[in-house]
Amino acid sequence: MACALLICGCGSPQSMFRSASKQSHDIDLLWWWMLGAAALVFFGALALLGIAWIRRDTPGLPFFGERESVAELMVLAFGIAIPVVALVALFGVSDIYLIGESSPPDPRKTAMTIHVIGHQWWWEVKYPGTGVVTANEIHLPVKTRVNVVVTTVDVIHSLWVPALARKVDTIPGAHNRILFDVGRVGVYRGQCSQYCGLEHADMALKVVVQTRAAYRSWLNGQQRPAPATATPLQAAGRNVFMNSQCASCHTIGGTSARGAIGPNLTHVGSRTSIAADTLANTPANLAAWIRDPQAIKPGVLMPDLGLSKPKVRELTAYLESLR
Amino acid sequence: MATTVPREGQTYVKRLELIWAPRPGLLGWLTTTDHKRIGILYFFTSLLMFGAGGVEALLMRTQLLGPHSHVISPRVYDEMFTMHGITMIFLFVIPMTTGAFGNYLLPLMIGARDMAFPRMNAVSYWIYLCSAIFMYISLAGGHAPNAGWFDYVPLASKRFDPGVNIDFYGFGLIFNSLSSTAAAINFIVTIFKMRAPGMSLNRMPLFCYAFLAASFALLFALPALSLAALFLELDRNLGFHFYDPAHGGSVLLWQNLFWIFGHPEVYIIILPAFGIATSIIPTLTHRRMVLFPLVALAEVMVAFLGFGVWAHHMFTVGLPTSATIYFAAASLIIVIPSAIQLFAWIATILTGKPDFKTPLLFIVGFIIYFILGGLSGITLAAIPFDQQVHDSYYVIAHFHMVIFGAAVFPILGGMYYWFPKVTGRMYSERAGKASFWLTFLGTLVTFFPMHILGLLGMPRRNYTYPAHMGWTLMNFIESIGAYMLAAGLLMIVLNLLISLVFGQETDDPFHGDTLEWSTSSPPAPYNFVVIPTVTTPYGMYDTEDRRRDNKRLARGEGLLDEGHETPMTTAQDADLVEILEMPPHSIWPPVCALLLAGMFAMLLLVHYWIAGAFLVLAGMALLAWHSHEEQA
Amino acid sequence: MSSPELSGGGAQRIARTLGRADPRHSAPSGVWGMALFLCAEVALFGTIIGSYFYLESVDRSWPPHGVEKPEVLLPVLATAYLLLTLLPIHLAARASRRGRRGRTVAAIAVGLAAQCGYLAWQILLFSSDLHKFSPRQSAYGSVYFTMLAVHHAHVLLGLALDLALISQLLAKGLTRYWLIAVRNLALYWYVVGALAVCVLFTQISPSL
Ligand code: HEA
Ligand code: HEA
Ligand code: HEC
Ligand code: CUA
Ligand SMILES: [Cu+2]
Repeated sequence: MACALLICGCGSPQSMFRSASKQSHDIDLLWWWMLGAAALVFFGALALLGIAWIRRDTPGLPFFGERESVAELMVLAFGIAIPVVALVALFGVSDIYLIGESSPPDPRKTAMTIHVIGHQWWWEVKYPGTGVVTANEIHLPVKTRVNVVVTTVDVIHSLWVPALARKVDTIPGAHNRILFDVGRVGVYRGQCSQYCGLEHADMALKVVVQTRAAYRSWLNGQQRPAPATATPLQAAGRNVFMNSQCASCHTIGGTSARGAIGPNLTHVGSRTSIAADTLANTPANLAAWIRDPQAIKPGVLMPDLGLSKPKVRELTAYLESLR
Repeated sequence: MATTVPREGQTYVKRLELIWAPRPGLLGWLTTTDHKRIGILYFFTSLLMFGAGGVEALLMRTQLLGPHSHVISPRVYDEMFTMHGITMIFLFVIPMTTGAFGNYLLPLMIGARDMAFPRMNAVSYWIYLCSAIFMYISLAGGHAPNAGWFDYVPLASKRFDPGVNIDFYGFGLIFNSLSSTAAAINFIVTIFKMRAPGMSLNRMPLFCYAFLAASFALLFALPALSLAALFLELDRNLGFHFYDPAHGGSVLLWQNLFWIFGHPEVYIIILPAFGIATSIIPTLTHRRMVLFPLVALAEVMVAFLGFGVWAHHMFTVGLPTSATIYFAAASLIIVIPSAIQLFAWIATILTGKPDFKTPLLFIVGFIIYFILGGLSGITLAAIPFDQQVHDSYYVIAHFHMVIFGAAVFPILGGMYYWFPKVTGRMYSERAGKASFWLTFLGTLVTFFPMHILGLLGMPRRNYTYPAHMGWTLMNFIESIGAYMLAAGLLMIVLNLLISLVFGQETDDPFHGDTLEWSTSSPPAPYNFVVIPTVTTPYGMYDTEDRRRDNKRLARGEGLLDEGHETPMTTAQDADLVEILEMPPHSIWPPVCALLLAGMFAMLLLVHYWIAGAFLVLAGMALLAWHSHEEQA
Repeated sequence: MSSPELSGGGAQRIARTLGRADPRHSAPSGVWGMALFLCAEVALFGTIIGSYFYLESVDRSWPPHGVEKPEVLLPVLATAYLLLTLLPIHLAARASRRGRRGRTVAAIAVGLAAQCGYLAWQILLFSSDLHKFSPRQSAYGSVYFTMLAVHHAHVLLGLALDLALISQLLAKGLTRYWLIAVRNLALYWYVVGALAVCVLFTQISPSL
């Protein structure tokens, strides 16, 4: 099983074995120890059953014969004594010692705070104090203790990036917190893991962990309003956006679009994926999405607006330019 | 060995036949109060439900066979896993274990002629049937519950689920829990009051302890579910705010209430399986259970401790750390009684002379899967690890190991084991063994890779998954396993159905050691010609007891042949107290159930006054039922 | 219990071989059934009361702004009155044990009348509360009214049982079957009384 795990673990972007934080790494370690102990128990019990099969025609135990007290002692030893020891050890390690790591961080001991807000079926990410709002893509500086505050505007979701940390549910009316403290630069995939309705399966996100410098320059870019349109196509797209229903659901910083239902699109062109990591952010995918989001994510809360092909092309050009 | 009636006894037997003769035909089944007939009704209904839940599972597995597939739409997928969970838990396992196995076997095992409240027993069945139909109407109409079997608010609230889907869930479960509550009361009283004279509590088979523990757990756990569902319906239909944080409510109230029920529920599922295992193992290993009293105690402890661990399903909702630690500790403590039982079974098999016939094979499979599922349960009680894998396929793997591997395997083994008892015919041993290997491997192939999927980060309740996630292979293997499993289960059903007609006639093929084997197979409507007496825990082992019974029969003593009668005894020592007249049959139980179904249907359609009228009618039917005066 | 019907003839028939316990030391299965049903009821009320305090612990203002603290005097008086109405039921159980049908019926009838009065009074209080605040305003209102409504429904079921018993006792007489039923009725009402006290304290807890 361990081999199977290792083989698959490498090819799996969301595997918990790609741990990139101490927290996640310790949980991995706990898992391997538990697996080892469990294998011991399992194969031990299996061996007993094997002996039972081999000796199916002879009553009693090898060496000990048919004395009832030996059988009873066996139950007491394997059924009470050994489990008590093993369980106390497990309890101490996981529920007393390791739990500190997965508990909510002390906000005074973190370098920054971000807010992650669950929506049906995408993630809104806010950087308090900077005005930056983005979606489905969390950028973080490496080796920085980040206090992640999660909540929701609708139902319960669960933020789970296996390589970085434990998961945490977004509870209506509450603000749960976890710690992200990532040791390695990289892109880590996560996914909503609490069932939240039709498109629960397509509610993923990426955590992009960058060097501090790269992070700072990203943040600076995000703080700027949307860039001005550079081509007539883009300008036409901008026009369509502002004058159709798009603007009633989406915000684009520096324009009149102030909708709050869908993701903030101010810098949508800079994101690597759209629709909660359902599609890569390419012009073709973006166009397909705008033309018929329901075909890509059935039930999604963005309607199929029945736009004509040219309009879609203009919109795509415009949105792609928002970097 | 089953008792052979001496010639002197034949005249008494004729009289009993006459007194206990069932009504003929369909009416006989409709109005029956015979626990064996009710057990058979339960059996076939819940088997059908197993089939339905299985078909739903196969549909899900087919959808998940490959990435990005479109076999069923996301909407249908959501209804499938919700109905699969509800069906398997509420409409299959509980009715199959308590309803079918408990009903048929329990009175036989304790030497009674029926349950304590035969008509209430009938009404339990009819309510169960009506509630199953009620919930399946929703599926047929395309409005099946779709918020998962634990139906978390606010997803299940009117705002996010405006249709009637969730109302079917809420009212259906309240309706269904009426049946389970009645059944639980019936089992407890039967076990305490109807045991054969002399069967004091310490002589009672372990099977009965398991059912006693499960019934008590049901009795105390169900109110939490009913209440949670009531609050939910009040929120949904009358605009109350129990679960609405904007008005001082709490979504965690639902989670707490549901799991206060839900965790005891999973032990309610497994306890009867323990009971079946502790019946089959001693018989087929030709020795007594090791440490009988400790095992009995452990069975009761599991049910009791099961009430203190519910929040281990809520480790990620943001409870205070101290609270989660308490629940983790409790979850670990509950391992001890399970481990005691486990090693008592293993020690019994090890020190006995096990005869690996099909039923015992299924029990060995059960032991293996119980260890696997139990061990993964322990890992889930390690909070940091649970916070990683919660709501991932790892949890799905854990509970299918314990539910399918550990709770359903004994059911399957029990079907084989008691098949000769119920039908008087033998199943095919060769097909039986083949079906065991098919289901055993099918289970392993279906559910074992789910652990890995969970560790690789696949959340549960996903209608599909992207191709680049590294999940494709495991999902493919699982789906193949599910088809294997279906083939194995079908083989079991076919084996039994064919043997029903062509099987060799037999009476007591395993030389079982509990009282049900002391009577004919299939048992006569009055179960025992002469009321058995008991002086040891192993009714059948003590041939002395049976010989005495036969002597009494020859003398015409202890027959209770003056009416539809059964003895009632004291709760602890089983001293005879009095002879009860049992109701022979009654039309009122199905009528009552039907009227209640009418009430719930009207509640669903928000016709509250008509619903009230149905309730009054049901009350009147209840009065009519009691006006026919017997013990009940 | 010394009712003539109690010792069925059958017991004597097999007593010779099986031995026999004194029935006084063993509650009949009917009573066991009722006792277990009441266990489920107690669990139900326990869960409601638990939910009440859970919601209170979640909500910062309890009762919420604009809702007065619950009145104390009238609910206490009403509950005390309910406890008083248990007396006739208790007497009915006693009379039935002595085999006196007339007295039993009369006592239950008195109890029934008194309890009808109780329920009417409570319904008045309930609707006057409804005029002050609504279950649709807040979780407090929801749990307050639901708890009381379940309690009143519980009393209503008791009234139905009273009525059913009176009719059956008049029609069938004090047979063994209905003798147990009277005993069960008394048991039911004792538990209603105990639960009423628990509900009362929960109801008035914000004012204590
Ligand atoms: C038959 C049903 C059944 C049984 C018996 C169990 C048994 C156990 N379960 Fe399981 N469980 C479920 C059904 C069951 N469970 C279901 C349905 C869910 C999910 C519901 C949902 O989310 O939909 C669930 C979920 C679940 C969770 C929550 C996971 C999550 O959602 O994040 C947890 C966490 O603690 C848990 C723990 C346990 C434990 C500790 C046991 C223990 O009782 C196990 C005890 C048994 C053994 C341990 C094996 C035998 C003993 C030995 C081999 C001795 C040797 C041992 C040592 C040396 C230590 N279970
Ligand atoms: C008793 C409980 C039980 C049982 C037995 C099963 C049995 C099976 N379950 Fe599951 N399952 C649950 C309880 C159970 N399940 C629960 C509670 C959930 C969670 C739901 C939720 O998330 O809300 C779940 C969820 C669940 C999922 C996860 C869905 C998701 O999260 O997206 C999957 C996926 O593979 C699955 C698969 C299976 C399979 C393949 C079987 C197979 O073992 C089924 C095999 C059975 C058959 C193939 C039937 C064969 C037919 C007969 C023998 C009868 C024929 C006779 C007549 C017609 C008369 N189940
Ligand atoms: C009724 C509200 C609504 C309208 C109108 C609407 N959208 Fe959306 N939009 C959404 C929601 C909600 C999402 C998030 C979908 C998801 O991923 O689940 C979204 C997502 C998007 C995304 C992907 C953003 C990302 O980062 O994942 C783009 C691009 C987009 N919309 C563009 C448009 C355009 C262009 C229009 C107008 C033609 C439009 N939307 C109209 C609600 C709306
Ligand atoms: Cu959001 Cu699942
Ligand atoms: Cu649990």
